[in-house]
Amino acid sequence: MEPILIILCVVVGGLLASLGAHLLPVGGAPAAMGTATGIATGTVQIMLGAAMTGLFTAASAATFTDSLLLVALSGAIGATVMICVVMLMANILYTFGCGIVPVSGRVDVDPLTKEPQAPYKTPQTDGHGVPNVVYVSGMLGGFVGGFGGALMYFALLNYADFTAGTAAIGALSIFVPNAIIAAYNIRGTIEGFHDPKFKRLPFAMVTSLVVSLLCGILVVIASYLTVGGTM
Amino acid sequence: MGLIVVLLFAWMLVIAFLAFLACTFEDLESDMGSQSNPNSQVQLAAQIGQVNRFFNKAISGEPLSNAMYCATAGTIAWLLLLKLEPLVPGEEWKAAVLAIPIGVAVAAAINIIFSMTAHCGRTAAQKRFEQPIYLDVLYGHLLPIATHAFMTTFFITCIAYIQCNLGTLSGNPALNHPFALPLLGFIWGITVGAIGSSTGDVHYGAEREFQDRPFGEGKRVVYHGKITRYAECGVRTQRDIAGFCAKFGGPITGMTFGLIILFENWRSLVGMQLGGYLPNLAASAGNSAVTWAIVMGLIIVIALAVVNYVFVRWVRKKCGPFVGV
Repeated sequence: MEPILIILCVVVGGLLASLGAHLLPVGGAPAAMGTATGIATGTVQIMLGAAMTGLFTAASAATFTDSLLLVALSGAIGATVMICVVMLMANILYTFGCGIVPVSGRVDVDPLTKEPQAPYKTPQTDGHGVPNVVYVSGMLGGFVGGFGGALMYFALLNYADFTAGTAAIGALSIFVPNAIIAAYNIRGTIEGFHDPKFKRLPFAMVTSLVVSLLCGILVVIASYLTVGGTM
Repeated sequence: MGLIVVLLFAWMLVIAFLAFLACTFEDLESDMGSQSNPNSQVQLAAQIGQVNRFFNKAISGEPLSNAMYCATAGTIAWLLLLKLEPLVPGEEWKAAVLAIPIGVAVAAAINIIFSMTAHCGRTAAQKRFEQPIYLDVLYGHLLPIATHAFMTTFFITCIAYIQCNLGTLSGNPALNHPFALPLLGFIWGITVGAIGSSTGDVHYGAEREFQDRPFGEGKRVVYHGKITRYAECGVRTQRDIAGFCAKFGGPITGMTFGLIILFENWRSLVGMQLGGYLPNLAASAGNSAVTWAIVMGLIIVIALAVVNYVFVRWVRKKCGPFVGV
């Protein structure tokens, strides 16, 4: 039981979860109609889906390594693989299923590839599909979010002496409020780091810090109450 | 019996195949009940005077509802396994053959209850817009929805069962996943829902719901709510939609989940093999196994990013700028 380490890991994990959710290209319901750029679902849902995939791999890795960094990186890569496949397949579906070209609605020129965006956009929409800059932002979001989730899992498993199942549920329970805070901050849709809404990030980070700190203290109390790793 | 590495890889491929089927049916289930994001249009349609015969069941976000079904099925199957496995020592698979379908059937029954209450509640709330509750629509969709949900939950529970017992099935119980069956069901329920919601819904929402609008453009805000209410023959219900989406949206969604499961398990196993962890589970090789798995994952991620870059460039060149009005 190492209270400082537990709180530190939970706070860092929570902040990373919130940051990751801001980086993901969330299109929400409008994206399902090709009316907005990004992945056609809510912030919490896609972040949770990615983090859960990462957590599955991280839990496997934690059975045969004691390294915090390796377990957290396993989770990060797991989440990144998940989000990358989803974004690629969404593009294939938009293109071949609906005849829609991936285009960003927030910038006129792709900041990374310098491809023009505005001429390809359907009028009265906010972009559609997952263009290259959005894809890169999504990759970073998946990596950061997955890293945060796996970090919390490792702290709960090894520092708070929870069993694997309880540590997973605990990490998930701290992850969700942080993703929800990000969702409130995003208010609907966001394309990634190039989106003007990304500038609101500091507000979410402060809130996440407070929430994660409280969660960390709660984990320490729970760990004290169940000394011996019975939880 | 020692660990047989080939068996590990074989089971991984079985899991990936089951994942493909699970997500295909998950997408079709959400299309059949109009559960996820495109449901906003079904809701809006009645509000702007477009009375329709669509089934409207927004139980919750797909990840959460699927996690509920899969965790329920997993819990019941797990409890039955605890009771039944001691009755057939040495032949535990017999217990699974009975326990998993029973657990999944209970989850499907819960799905029917939620579908019915969600549809009736949502549609009753639209009385002021004169949207009736068509009883034939209600009765006619419950069974197809429950059947699709049964298939999804069944495949996910099978995946969770195999992963729980992966080591035992391959010859060394130390390789069983540390999570219990219900928790694995919960995790894959969340993931399958997240993928079904984010990938497959596009085919329903952006194409089938607005099929009388021009093909090849994002659906403009002025179209919202004005969904296609007439089918190839007669008035459109959700049963016409599942058949359409099964031709493209469903399989693509299934492939997404299948690829994710394949990549994740494959890179872990290849990492174990390259790191020298298999077949003797040498504890000293643990770190190198994870490192190799991370390196393999990085290669996969970079390859996917390159494929997307090439694909986006190709499609923009092929289709060209927007030429409509």
